[in-house]
Amino acid sequence: MAGMSTEAAFTSPDKSAPDTWVRVSPKLVTARRIVLLIWAIPTLAALGVALFLLPNVPPFVVIALAVVAVVVFVWAWWLIGRRVRSYAYSERADDLLVSSGILFRRLVIVPYGRMQLVDVKAGPIDRALGVTSVQLHTAAATTDAAIPGLVPDVAADLRDRLARRGESRSAGL
Amino acid sequence: MGGLAIALGVSGAASIIDRLEALRFLAFLPPVLNAIAAIALIAFALSILVAAYQYLAWRALSFWIDDDGDLRIQSGVITRNLRRVQLSRIQAVDVTQPFAARLFSMAVVVVEVAGQSDSRVQLKFLTLTDAREIRREVLARSAGLSGDTQEAPQNIVATVPPGRLAGSLILRLSTVGLLLATAVIITFSYLSEGWGGIAVAAVTGGVPLILVVSEFIRYYGFTVAESPDGLRLKYGLLRTESRTVPPGRVQAIDYVEPFLWRRRGWARVRVTIAGVGTENSSSSNQQETLLLPVAPLEQAHDIVSRILPDLDTSTLTWVHAPRRAWKRSWIQWRNLAAGWDEHTFAIRRGRITRHLCALPHARTQSVRWTQGPWERVIDLATMHVDITPGPVTVSALHLDSDQARTIALYQADAARRGRRTDRSLHWGESARGNEDR
Repeated sequence: MAGMSTEAAFTSPDKSAPDTWVRVSPKLVTARRIVLLIWAIPTLAALGVALFLLPNVPPFVVIALAVVAVVVFVWAWWLIGRRVRSYAYSERADDLLVSSGILFRRLVIVPYGRMQLVDVKAGPIDRALGVTSVQLHTAAATTDAAIPGLVPDVAADLRDRLARRGESRSAGL
Repeated sequence: MGGLAIALGVSGAASIIDRLEALRFLAFLPPVLNAIAAIALIAFALSILVAAYQYLAWRALSFWIDDDGDLRIQSGVITRNLRRVQLSRIQAVDVTQPFAARLFSMAVVVVEVAGQSDSRVQLKFLTLTDAREIRREVLARSAGLSGDTQEAPQNIVATVPPGRLAGSLILRLSTVGLLLATAVIITFSYLSEGWGGIAVAAVTGGVPLILVVSEFIRYYGFTVAESPDGLRLKYGLLRTESRTVPPGRVQAIDYVEPFLWRRRGWARVRVTIAGVGTENSSSSNQQETLLLPVAPLEQAHDIVSRILPDLDTSTLTWVHAPRRAWKRSWIQWRNLAAGWDEHTFAIRRGRITRHLCALPHARTQSVRWTQGPWERVIDLATMHVDITPGPVTVSALHLDSDQARTIALYQADAARRGRRTDRSLHWGESARGNEDR
């Protein structure tokens, strides 16, 4: 069993010391909400037009649909904030921990020596807002270690650090 | 010159039309017969074309060992393809015999090269003696020995008797269930004298029969032999396959115990091998990841200990899923556990078909802890050990949430220690003097 320090680092981000776990940039919330709007506005507009064009729609159906649409939208809006706040990562001596999720929570431990490549990605909206995502890949397809919403400088630093550590600790299959 | 050719062509066509006139009588035959005849004719023509192409492909294939000691293979009828295989990169060389080739004692040499896709070179067809000779030479050279070194002897460590193989195939829930259903249908048809059910019975009885017979033919005479380059598997009644399992690339083991085998203490053993069986999920893939179709558990353990000597599942410390896990998995909760010792991590799952998946710590790629909404309500969590893609999934399902975290942490540390001390990794590579992986 590991010593007490690693034990502490391992507990979920909300319990541990703020300096071991790094959270992602709140700009990711904005970026994801913009994506949500891009999807939601045309969908809602199409729904409205359809209701307007269809003859004999009882008013309670219209009201019910509107309420459902608003509730789903508000829930998605709120969920984005929660989800982004749930992302955290921690660089330990020999591995990287990534923790995320609210409904489906997960924690991934990726040893530096097992990293095969590190992806740094940013879409158009992400670039405009200055957020980047870093994803780690190992030889296992099921490794799911993505850290979205990093400030580009932080992401580049992280990538370089990970690559360096990966090189010094690399092992074969 | 061109005119002559056209004239010949025209006269040829005319004579063909004359001949076709003679086929007039066909018009009086039922159209179904004509259709069948036409299809048969087309199929025949196609098979001739395929055979011709195969012949040309066989003619076009040549291979030799070049001055650098690499295997070179030239092939292709329309597109010429020259391939160079570094002998030090060769994982395994196997000799297989498809049925038709076997009739004429011909064989295919399959060379497995380390790599992701398209990493397999097939030399077809050769006489069996030539194939064995090439296999021996390539293996000797890839081991860094001179080309005329004799092949190291292999000793047979296990065989699957035909009786046990047949028994194991019949004692599957799907087979037994379908055969029972057939018996029920036939009984009812007999009692009610309504014979409409017989068509259904033919299907429910025929399908398992075909499956059992085809698997029996495929795995007939399954033999495991130990050789310097790994375990060599050999099987097949009509088509003989031979595969080499390189121990250094085995990532994880799955002992599968179907419900009806358990009284007899039988198990099937599947393995995840790095770079094997990742391309698709076809039946050949199923075969490639099978280490033993059926064997008594003791024998299975013995075979596994030859590839992974440190892997011993009998001395593990087990942590079981708590009682409340029945709320999440009401059938298999009794058999959910994670176990470990100095060298090994293992999980147990499944109630009707039991699985025991084990891997050396050093093969861990990453460790995950996950918790779904329902698991969260009852304070459970699942811990996964990620390995290279293959048939074995190492997930310790529905353990106590905190325990799962602790085990995940332990596993991350154990994996690091395992990687430092692991020597089996360089099995093969060090023997072949290639350390640059």
